[in-house]
Amino acid sequence: MRPDANESGLTAAGGPENRAARPRFNPTLSLSVLILLLISTVALAQQRFPPPDFESGHKLPLTTTPAGRAFIYEYVDVAVLAACIAISVFLIYRKRSRAGLVGLSLFSLAYFGFYRKGCVCAIGSVQNIALALFEPGYAVPVSVLAFFILPLAVSLFFGRSFCAGVCPHGALQDLVLLKPIKVPAWLEQALSTLPFIYLGAGVLLAGTGSAFLICQYDPFVPVFRLSGRALMVIAGVALLALGMFVGRPYCRFLCPYGALLKAGAMVSRWRVTVTPDNCTQCRLCETSCPFGALREPEEVQTTPSVLRQDRRRLAFLIALLPVLVLGCAWVGDFFSGAAAALNPTVSLADRLAAEKETPAKSGALSPDDLALDRARQNADEFLRNAEAIRKRITTGSRIFGGWVGLVIGLKLVGLSVHRRRKDYEPTPGDCLACARCFEFCPSELVRRGFPNGFASQPLDGSPLEPALK
Amino acid sequence: MQNQRPKTILPGLDFATPKPRLNSMHTGWQRVRFISGVFILLAAAAMLIENLASATLDPLKSPKLAALKDKLRQNPADESVKQEIRQLDLQLRADYFGRLSRSGSGVYLLLGGGAVFVLAWSQCNRFEKKPPMPQPRTEPLDTAGIARTARWSAGVGGAAVTAVLLVLGLVTGKARTDSPVKDSQISGSQTPAASQAVSSEEELKRNWPRFRGQGGNGVSEAKNIPQSWDTKTGSGIAWKTPVPAPGFNSPVIWRGNFFISGGDAARREVFCYECSTGKLVWRQPVENVPGAPTKVPEVPETTGYAAPSVATDGQRVYAIFATGDVAAFTLEGKPVWSRSFGPLKNPYGHATSLLTWKDRLIVLLDQGESEDGKSKLYALDGRTGKTVWETPRKVGASWATPVTFEAAGEAQVVALAIPWAISYGLKDGVELWRVEGLNGEVTPSPAFAQGLVLVPSPSEKLFAIRPDGHGDVTKTQVAWSTEENVPDVTSPVGTGDLVFTLTTPGVLTCLEAKDGKKLWEHDFEMECHASPSIAEGRVYLFGQKGTAIITEAGRQFKELFRTEMPDMFHASPAFVDNTMILRGSTNLWGIVSPPK
Amino acid sequence: MSPPSSNPNNPSRRQFLKDGARIAAAAGLGGLMGSIAMRSSAMNTVWQIDPQKCVRCGNCATHCVLEQSAVKCVHAYAICGYCQLCTGYFEPEPNDLNTGAENCLCPTAAIKRTFVEDPYFEYTIDERLCIGCAKCVEGCNRFGNGSLFLQVRHDRCVNCNECAISKVCAGDAFRRVPANAPYLLKTTSHGL
Repeated sequence: MRPDANESGLTAAGGPENRAARPRFNPTLSLSVLILLLISTVALAQQRFPPPDFESGHKLPLTTTPAGRAFIYEYVDVAVLAACIAISVFLIYRKRSRAGLVGLSLFSLAYFGFYRKGCVCAIGSVQNIALALFEPGYAVPVSVLAFFILPLAVSLFFGRSFCAGVCPHGALQDLVLLKPIKVPAWLEQALSTLPFIYLGAGVLLAGTGSAFLICQYDPFVPVFRLSGRALMVIAGVALLALGMFVGRPYCRFLCPYGALLKAGAMVSRWRVTVTPDNCTQCRLCETSCPFGALREPEEVQTTPSVLRQDRRRLAFLIALLPVLVLGCAWVGDFFSGAAAALNPTVSLADRLAAEKETPAKSGALSPDDLALDRARQNADEFLRNAEAIRKRITTGSRIFGGWVGLVIGLKLVGLSVHRRRKDYEPTPGDCLACARCFEFCPSELVRRGFPNGFASQPLDGSPLEPALK
Repeated sequence: MQNQRPKTILPGLDFATPKPRLNSMHTGWQRVRFISGVFILLAAAAMLIENLASATLDPLKSPKLAALKDKLRQNPADESVKQEIRQLDLQLRADYFGRLSRSGSGVYLLLGGGAVFVLAWSQCNRFEKKPPMPQPRTEPLDTAGIARTARWSAGVGGAAVTAVLLVLGLVTGKARTDSPVKDSQISGSQTPAASQAVSSEEELKRNWPRFRGQGGNGVSEAKNIPQSWDTKTGSGIAWKTPVPAPGFNSPVIWRGNFFISGGDAARREVFCYECSTGKLVWRQPVENVPGAPTKVPEVPETTGYAAPSVATDGQRVYAIFATGDVAAFTLEGKPVWSRSFGPLKNPYGHATSLLTWKDRLIVLLDQGESEDGKSKLYALDGRTGKTVWETPRKVGASWATPVTFEAAGEAQVVALAIPWAISYGLKDGVELWRVEGLNGEVTPSPAFAQGLVLVPSPSEKLFAIRPDGHGDVTKTQVAWSTEENVPDVTSPVGTGDLVFTLTTPGVLTCLEAKDGKKLWEHDFEMECHASPSIAEGRVYLFGQKGTAIITEAGRQFKELFRTEMPDMFHASPAFVDNTMILRGSTNLWGIVSPPK
Repeated sequence: MSPPSSNPNNPSRRQFLKDGARIAAAAGLGGLMGSIAMRSSAMNTVWQIDPQKCVRCGNCATHCVLEQSAVKCVHAYAICGYCQLCTGYFEPEPNDLNTGAENCLCPTAAIKRTFVEDPYFEYTIDERLCIGCAKCVEGCNRFGNGSLFLQVRHDRCVNCNECAISKVCAGDAFRRVPANAPYLLKTTSHGL
């Protein structure tokens, strides 16, 4: 018997010439050949076919175990994150430099996005935290905890500095924003509840161990990885195309971590201002914000009768709040079925219960049938286990429903409160600290030592001389 | 500033005169933007099309390749088919890996194109930048109006989200824990019988779950077994009922019911009777078995279609027939699963009985000649019939039923065939040890007694093997062997330090278990096919012509009871407390002793 | 959704509310972090397949987020029987025992068969070609020693927060393992 041709690589592996029949003997084409071998070598028949003692002294190859990323890099990631947030805060509050933030965005996009492939990520870490809270057996890696805590803690003092130039999702969308259009205020307000609802759904599904919804439907991770499910790649590209015109659609209308940061930024110690100097109300910055975060000064001009009406409305909406919460919790109870269907254990248990009496199939089994077989092995325990999960999901769904009601109710209440604003200023929750508005403010330019203030802008000294058409 | 183009918006800035150099750069960037935009669209379209095309045809599951392989199977010598397969295989793999590498490089092209496009557009933006020119307001900002619209849209949006949640919930059905359907299914599954997935060893021993009782040793631990009965006076006969269908298999007993099978070439059935009354509880045909060959094999009448005994694990009852059909029923007679191993290649017809271990059904299918490589030992999942493990056996057809026992820290099953007695681990079917020396038509089953496996080589030699070796232990682990009065149909039985064998002509021999020394023999001069059984220190013998004899299982021969019954016995008896079930050729017999 | 305070004449009250909210949020965050940190592990985790639970359903080949799955077949040589008729390499009833495509099980020709000595052959996996379809693993487990099995290869795996295959794994064989012991290799056949 001769050894086979040495096959290696794609081109050589098993081409017809290499796989050509080279008959050496005429086997009874069945397992009997094998069994002949077995019988001739039965010595310590612990295995069906005992490993041979090679007379030729052949050395067994070792099973390779290529290592993943070295452990130390977890800390490098955290350090890079901390440094990026610090630089971002510095660029926003001290340097007030848009160009600097663009540079930081490019770095974050390269590091957290394309190099780290969007995983480890603050947005997804919400789910790990939720799972750890409700699933005692799950331990959160410290790096994930740091990714969850750091941006959130910073938001309490410096607003959404993380969104400005550290988050790769934000950086990607910020860089492709080429021709911003204004989203109507009413649409903006309606859509701004979505991140909170999405956050609730993400926590519900992660906390019950059903699915990491936020990761599963992340539109940009497939872009960072340059591969993924076709549907998600298309969704990501479509969102980027939309993002050319609508500023950061994911950040504003979906991002669940953004919802947390928004809450943090609303009470933050320091806020982004168009200018730290006096606002002259020149209105030059009015259209500068592509994210609808820059609000005009508001003076409440109202008559006592209107004011009374407004107060009545506010009181009504506050009274409506518990009704909304309870009503939506009731809806959440209905939703529990859909949430449970996303849990692999529960959905398998449903199939098991439905097909318990039908005999198991034999022959070539599909993955679903194999899963069913596994569940059948210990059917009663499996069903009991699933029932416990189902109970948790039902409770969770009710809470989630209540949360949806709370979000909608608070939004309505918030929209019924009169605010007074003397100057043009970014609303702290919505401002993504992109620093675009700074350069529109004449006071800012003067403060920077105009006209030398433009020296920070590139393009051989002539960008501010474009033709007017 | 109104209606008037500002010359300057800030002191020192002149927006009036465009510079030609800048203009040409502007056009250049615009061109780059256009070209890169078109490039992205083309690349994306190409990748999308390739992706869609490959999604519809997975090259690794090519039906064409499968068809060609089928063709080759039918025509194994066809070189041209082989060549075709090789060509197609190479083609498919080249396509697959080609696509992978194309999509790998395509994505980088797309990314590069995207970067250029974004860069070009942002450069264009710098030339097209217009200074902000706020127009004076004709009327004050209607904040209240905006707030009103926003409230409405937020309210409607919220309602829409809630509606979506509601619809999703209604479509998939509410996950109610108190849903009546699910509840009943779960409570049904929590009945004591079902939740206790594996019957305890004690319970198995109290019953008679397989051919020759738990373990297959022919020894009963039941109490108050009948010691006398008379068919003429009817004393001790609780009932008799006609055998419903032909078959040589022996009854098995579980919790007051006993099970037998029967049938012929046309129809094969499993029957359940009440032990105390002999009333039929249920009968179920074994038919429409998935994958069963359409043609029923021809089997000599001396074996029939229902020679193997059924077996139960206390959860389900299992039956096998000479056709190779295996079926499982609940104890209440509901079909659970069935599968076919047929057609079986067996010159006398398949006769090896089923046995169970924990929740597994053990099926020994020794077939054909050893060169055929068709013989296998299977462990099936009792719930599903799915193969848990299977171990090929390089032997030909055999008719003995394996025994199971625990020894040397292993749950073992010992199966006989020419020339080997082989022990396998019940956990995984891995071979533990084997002994060479069997010959002839391997019909008598082994038995486990006094820590020894008693293996009869028909009419030739009885081996007693210590079951703690590994590999071929013919030379090392055979404790003793004897050539005296070795049976060729019935199986040996052991109790205490004695072993009994019964030959077909009716010679009962008593041997010393530790060394195989003969203590006594007695010739009953009656043809015996049913194996001797031991209960309460007595040996029960049933002659083919209807003679039933009880002797003492002692160091001296002592006949205790003898009666003639109007039936013929091939099957071995089954024992539980106070009761003995016999299967004759014409009748089933329920023999009881008055409870003490 | 900020606190509904609207007294413009009292900015300090507003500031006070804001500060209070911030301190409360910081305290809450601290508490959350503390409670989570109690059960956080310094070590990151990675995904791995428990070969004893794997049922070779084939989902690994199709459900990985990577175009070519990060799951590959690996070989525990120490428990391999070096069979001439390898049921992981050959079709169930091979036409002939040679490397012709008609006899081979692997759809991508990723298994290399090399002669060692009569009658033994060594089988090695070319991971560049392996797609993790588990056809060979099934063959080897069902009829052989089970020395072929699937593992997540960490030089390829991008370590998703939640492994996409784990959610569809028919055997529920995926689990998070510490990153410093990232493989679950077989050392005995059939889980002995």
